Amino acid sequence: MNEPDKHDEALGKLLQQWRADAPLPPGFQKAVWRRIEQSQISAAPAPWTVIARWIASALPRPALAVSYVAILLTLGLTAGWAQARQETARVKNAMGERYIRSLDPYQAPPPEMR
Amino acid sequence: MKKGVFILLLGLALAAAAYGCVYLLGTSSARNLEQSSRPELSWLKQEFNLSDSDFEKVCALHQAYLPQCADMCRQIEAQNQRVRTLLAATNQMTAEIESAIAESARLRGQCQRNMLQHFYEVSRTMPPEQGRRYLEWVQERTLAGEGMTHHQ
Repeated sequence: MNEPDKHDEALGKLLQQWRADAPLPPGFQKAVWRRIEQSQISAAPAPWTVIARWIASALPRPALAVSYVAILLTLGLTAGWAQARQETARVKNAMGERYIRSLDPYQAPPPEMR
Repeated sequence: MKKGVFILLLGLALAAAAYGCVYLLGTSSARNLEQSSRPELSWLKQEFNLSDSDFEKVCALHQAYLPQCADMCRQIEAQNQRVRTLLAATNQMTAEIESAIAESARLRGQCQRNMLQHFYEVSRTMPPEQGRRYLEWVQERTLAGEGMTHHQ
């Protein structure tokens, strides 16, 4: 056990005596900081990982699951209703125009016949 | 993870199903209209809340008017062709062009008279309030709408 301690002591003294006289290369500090920043960026998790983690951990919670399903259901219902209303209005408008065109020779033909 | 994915897919499936059901239900009347044998008349029945007997009368009037309208169309088209030929043959006003323009105007007037007569007849087969609404609606899209100019 004594041999390694002596070695460490000797190494410690040697290192204390050691002086680095060589100048640092230009931009050394900047380069170090850049490398630190890059390592931090690459350590950030990918969006897909975040989403997958959220699906696995947060979504199964009952309150969140019910809210999620309820929101999607409401979105589906609202979108279906709005789209149906728009389509019905379009068809009714087209039928009205068709009725008028069947009676009035001076009406412009429908766009597909022009 | 499996439970989370299941909930995710369940939400999406429910949203898609809800969208489809509401859309199909909401457009059923429009689809029925489009698939009917006389869509424009079916639309008229629906739009002006006509009873079956009123609708039959409207259909009879419509059928009676169509040949008259088709004949008018033929005359208008022949007259338009005549005007085009006359216009192509000269670069100044001639007596023939004047006469052709007058004839076009006469035909247009005749067509409008026939149309208006038909609108009045159809409106009389409807309940009074609907008849008024019908007249306003057709006149706005035919005779009353023609008076608009682009110089205002």
